Amino acid sequence: MRKFWAVVRHEYRKIVLKWTFLIGTLLFPVLGLGFAVVPALIFSLKGDPTRLVVVDPTGKVLPRLKDNLSAERFEEKARRAAEEQIGDLNATQEEKMKRGADQLASGFVFVNYNAADKSPDTVRSDLNGMAMRDEIDAYLLIPDGIDAKDAKFEFRSRKAGDFVVSQTLEEALNEAVRSQRLADAHINEGQLKDLSRNVELDSKAINEKGEEKDSGSLFVASLVIGMMIYITLTIYGQVILGAVVEEKETRIAEILFSSARPFQLLAGKLVGVCLAGLTQLGIWVGSLLALFAFLSTQADMSGLVSSVPHITPLMVIYFFLFFLTGYFIYASIFAVIGSMVTTVQEGGQFAFPPIMIMLVGFYLCFAVIRDPNSDLSFWVSISPFFAPMTMPVRILAETPPFWQIALAVAINGLAIAGLIWLAARVYRVGMLMYGKRATVPEVLKWITQA
Amino acid sequence: MSEGAATLRVEGVTKRFGDFTAVDDLSFEVRPGRVFGFLGPNGAGKTTTIRMIVGITKPDEGKIEYDFPRDEGRHRPSDEGRGTRDEGLEFVSQDYHPAAEAAALVTHNSSLTPASSLVPRPSSLISDRIGYLPEERGLYKKMKIVDQLRYFAALKDVPRSVADERIDRWLARMKLSEWKNTKTTDLSKGMQQKIQFVATVLHDPDLLILDEPFSGLDPVNVEFMIDVLAEFRQEHKTVIFSTHLMETAERLCNDILLINKAKKVVSGSLRQVKEAYGKNLIALRAIGGDAVLKDASLVKQVVEHADEREIELADGADAQLLLRRLVDSGAEITKFEKVEPTLNDIFISAVEEVPRSDMVI
Repeated sequence: MRKFWAVVRHEYRKIVLKWTFLIGTLLFPVLGLGFAVVPALIFSLKGDPTRLVVVDPTGKVLPRLKDNLSAERFEEKARRAAEEQIGDLNATQEEKMKRGADQLASGFVFVNYNAADKSPDTVRSDLNGMAMRDEIDAYLLIPDGIDAKDAKFEFRSRKAGDFVVSQTLEEALNEAVRSQRLADAHINEGQLKDLSRNVELDSKAINEKGEEKDSGSLFVASLVIGMMIYITLTIYGQVILGAVVEEKETRIAEILFSSARPFQLLAGKLVGVCLAGLTQLGIWVGSLLALFAFLSTQADMSGLVSSVPHITPLMVIYFFLFFLTGYFIYASIFAVIGSMVTTVQEGGQFAFPPIMIMLVGFYLCFAVIRDPNSDLSFWVSISPFFAPMTMPVRILAETPPFWQIALAVAINGLAIAGLIWLAARVYRVGMLMYGKRATVPEVLKWITQA
Repeated sequence: MSEGAATLRVEGVTKRFGDFTAVDDLSFEVRPGRVFGFLGPNGAGKTTTIRMIVGITKPDEGKIEYDFPRDEGRHRPSDEGRGTRDEGLEFVSQDYHPAAEAAALVTHNSSLTPASSLVPRPSSLISDRIGYLPEERGLYKKMKIVDQLRYFAALKDVPRSVADERIDRWLARMKLSEWKNTKTTDLSKGMQQKIQFVATVLHDPDLLILDEPFSGLDPVNVEFMIDVLAEFRQEHKTVIFSTHLMETAERLCNDILLINKAKKVVSGSLRQVKEAYGKNLIALRAIGGDAVLKDASLVKQVVEHADEREIELADGADAQLLLRRLVDSGAEITKFEKVEPTLNDIFISAVEEVPRSDMVI
């Protein structure tokens, strides 16, 4: 046992005492935050205000348009868009773009241009000339009769690609023209707005006990959990692969095998790397809990905190339990690959299939979140390979009966036993085979013999 | 220690890989306090044999027995006794001979223990008593030297404090102390070689197995390593080393085992092997005595060289008798030397010949 612990200690220190571990541990939360914040941040980089000429023969639309494009209105819109974005990650790409545009709010500068007594063609050529001389960026021609069915609003911009500008303007113009039309028809605008506002759909999931859960935040939390397990499994699977290949490539294996039993070495390696993974996950989960604890003390954030699904200590235990099953399943697969190949690069190619399986497991999480009680959710959450990712998500979404969790653990436990048995046999022979990559028939022979 | 007890006894060991027989019915003994040269051309089965000795692979047939002195307090500074291990002897039943189902063959040599001491108990693994420097060797690339050495020592079950003290001592000897906290990648190849040697001896092994230990070393370091090996011999430790450098082997080895194509060709002490391979040749420089050289009962053949003659003795003829006869005949002798084949000659002729199965020495 002392040698086993020496291997564990060695593998653990090798990972944890590296800069990359520290950086990775810090980077993941930063990256996660980045994925949420950076796109919005980039969108919110405001361009120069658009210099705009509006030719409005009616004289009624322009004031409303100016009002709609005012700074105050922009701010209000941006705030509302940001709120909606947090609440609804399910939004389609189109909706997201639109919200991004709303938050963007680069302003407009209205340039005066006297179009009185000029023919439309003269106006156009005048304005085109101004645009070419870089005096204005865009102009908008409003037709005489805005009520006519074929009324044509012309918008010409040098920045045609800037969808944000055209979208913002279109919306503001629509609103301005609509209110003008309403005013012309003597309809009270305020009243109409009140009457035509959207309903607020309060969407919550209920579980078997009849408790309510916020479905939006549930989705986010499930996603975070599925992702954390997926990412750590990928990272630490590759660490195992790298460590095995290094010892084979540098021929350290020969010294190791003359000092300790191959199984001690393999088991020590798996456990040592596992402890490093647990350390990292522990730091992440711990800091997440600490963050929530801190936020709940801040009055104005308590709303956000209360929307987080209730996570019991038992769930945390399950989470780590399924991380462990997943880890040992995939790590032993990576150990097999590592002892078959001759270089890290070759190992990278062979690592593709298990990573694909993990990815499928990760995507299955979405199906599980949608309907945690479907047949599909049941089967994937007890099957080997997928359960480590899907079961924790299912537990969070809607905790299945205990026997299903136990069944998942049992099935995956059996898979682990089988895979480690297999890995030990391949490892023992493969680590001493130099020069060429082992073929599948060879590996099968190692497994059946000895 | 009695000279008779062999540290290592290999008996009828055979190893096959599929249809290929890598080692065929190989037997030999390695005695304590001797340097044992394990020679043979590439692909003769040396590395396979060594791997079986160090326990990396198991023989298909035959048995390998070890006999080490008791290791009471081996890694302990003084009177502190060793606790009971949670692992017993690992190689105890490394007896794969179908016929021999006998009990454990490997024990620590109890006959060496003073009567008053306790009954010997297996207190460490066979593998912890062997230091193995493989031919293909490596170190962890991105790890500090001291951390690697500590790890290798821990795998041989050396307590940390003892390991640290030995690491410092060996690094100082190798003049590598200032590299202690450097990573492998910053070391030259020769330095890495020396670090690997340190890793091999940190647990103070009783049996040292070195596969091509001098490859990659400059002449200064080769000399240095030879000194270290001589020390091991003085400490009554056993050294097995395999090499292609016949000159080095000739300088260092007490005993020789030469294998070719999975089989033993010749084994024995260097002297015995040389005599066995000698063709009874005598280099002679003398004036007169020509009549004696024509005696067919003494001399088979005379080959004239530039300033001396090479005499091949007749079968069963005695070199001393020839010398006496020459002196009696009044010849003036300036050189009379029994020509011995070099290890190199033996190696080449042995590898080219069919194995002399009858040549048991």
